[in-house]
Amino acid sequence: MTALKAVACYLPDKRVPVEDVASRLGLTPMQARLFRRYLGLADIRLDHDGTLLDLLSAATWRLEELRGLEQRVRYVLYARVMPVVVPYPVNPVRDLCVAFGLGHAVSFTVTHHACATGLLAVDVAGRLLAEDGDPDALALVLTGEKAFTRDAQLVPGTSVFSEAAAACLVGPDGPADRVLSYAASTRGEFSGRLDEISAMASSFEKEYPASLAEAMSAAADQAGVSLGDLSLILPHNVNALSWQRLCRRIGFPVSRVLLDNVPVAGHAFCADPFINYVTAAERGLLRPGDRYLIAAAGFGATFSAMVVEH
Amino acid sequence: MEQETLPQQSDAGGYGGSPPGATAAGLRQRVFEAITVVLPRVLDRDALEITPEMKLMSDLGMRSASMLELLLELEDNLDIQIDVEDITEAAMISVGDLADFVASHASTND
Repeated sequence: MTALKAVACYLPDKRVPVEDVASRLGLTPMQARLFRRYLGLADIRLDHDGTLLDLLSAATWRLEELRGLEQRVRYVLYARVMPVVVPYPVNPVRDLCVAFGLGHAVSFTVTHHACATGLLAVDVAGRLLAEDGDPDALALVLTGEKAFTRDAQLVPGTSVFSEAAAACLVGPDGPADRVLSYAASTRGEFSGRLDEISAMASSFEKEYPASLAEAMSAAADQAGVSLGDLSLILPHNVNALSWQRLCRRIGFPVSRVLLDNVPVAGHAFCADPFINYVTAAERGLLRPGDRYLIAAAGFGATFSAMVVEH
Repeated sequence: MEQETLPQQSDAGGYGGSPPGATAAGLRQRVFEAITVVLPRVLDRDALEITPEMKLMSDLGMRSASMLELLLELEDNLDIQIDVEDITEAAMISVGDLADFVASHASTND
């Protein structure tokens, strides 16, 4: 059973008030205000001087458990939202592999689940490791992106993206944290620019909570637990309000959804659930045997959830 | 800034923190009137005749972002704070539904 062996993350020190980002992107003062007032976003992390390689490397440096195990890493998966993140032939993932003694590993990108791609990458890593059959083999999942373009910085009225990164060491088995289930549902009818197709945007907004709730329930069912059994939900940080409303819808206490990073870290593409895991671990929010759920939704649209046992 | 929650309705028929003589219906009416003032601005549409029955999404083309913008405008206009955590789809069907929601989830800023 796939196991999350270790998780590390990196948040750049530079915090930019969400209103500043919104203003720079041409939003009205009122449109800018609603991010803080209603959506729970406050500070956005940006690393203007750093490259994508810097961002991913900073998270990998913090993954101390990787040290000495480099030769066991067979796969390096970069989970990302944006289809293009660097100009050809720049290849930061390969550069990272070489820098960290992982040059022997097969490295590739996992995408097309947008902000839910991090969970897909963990699932893919687990499948590859299981297929290999080597109990000592490992995979490294990387997440984190630069917010270069307007599309990569803003979802109007919904979220503002941050530059942060996470690195997750995945094994084919192990005592913790064991991945009990993974459920993902892709709704292709929502593929397209929501800001240009009003009817699709309205439909997506209407379907979003039910679809994410379905994915969460499916993951819980696969794991043989009820949502009420979960000690914690590690969400994607799109905003706080959508989680408050979803919790009310499914009857899950919002106090058990780790939303504390929404105001201080923003929405860091696929990296959010891993960043939230690190926070949960640092605060001792997970005890041995606890089952928790990781959930994410991505434009396109994919709704994903994973139940994990600590 | 102290927040005072508006009770649903006092024995005297008034609301804490609202003008003397205000009633549930009165507050709801004030909210509706404020909507008629600020909604054209939020939607960037002039000469918009708004009725309580108008559907926010299908008739007016509103989405969650413009809905939140409208609530923020109402907060400024009415000098209130609106607790949006409780907002449901049912509260966002018609202008009247939204006015009901705001009237029952508003607190004064004094």
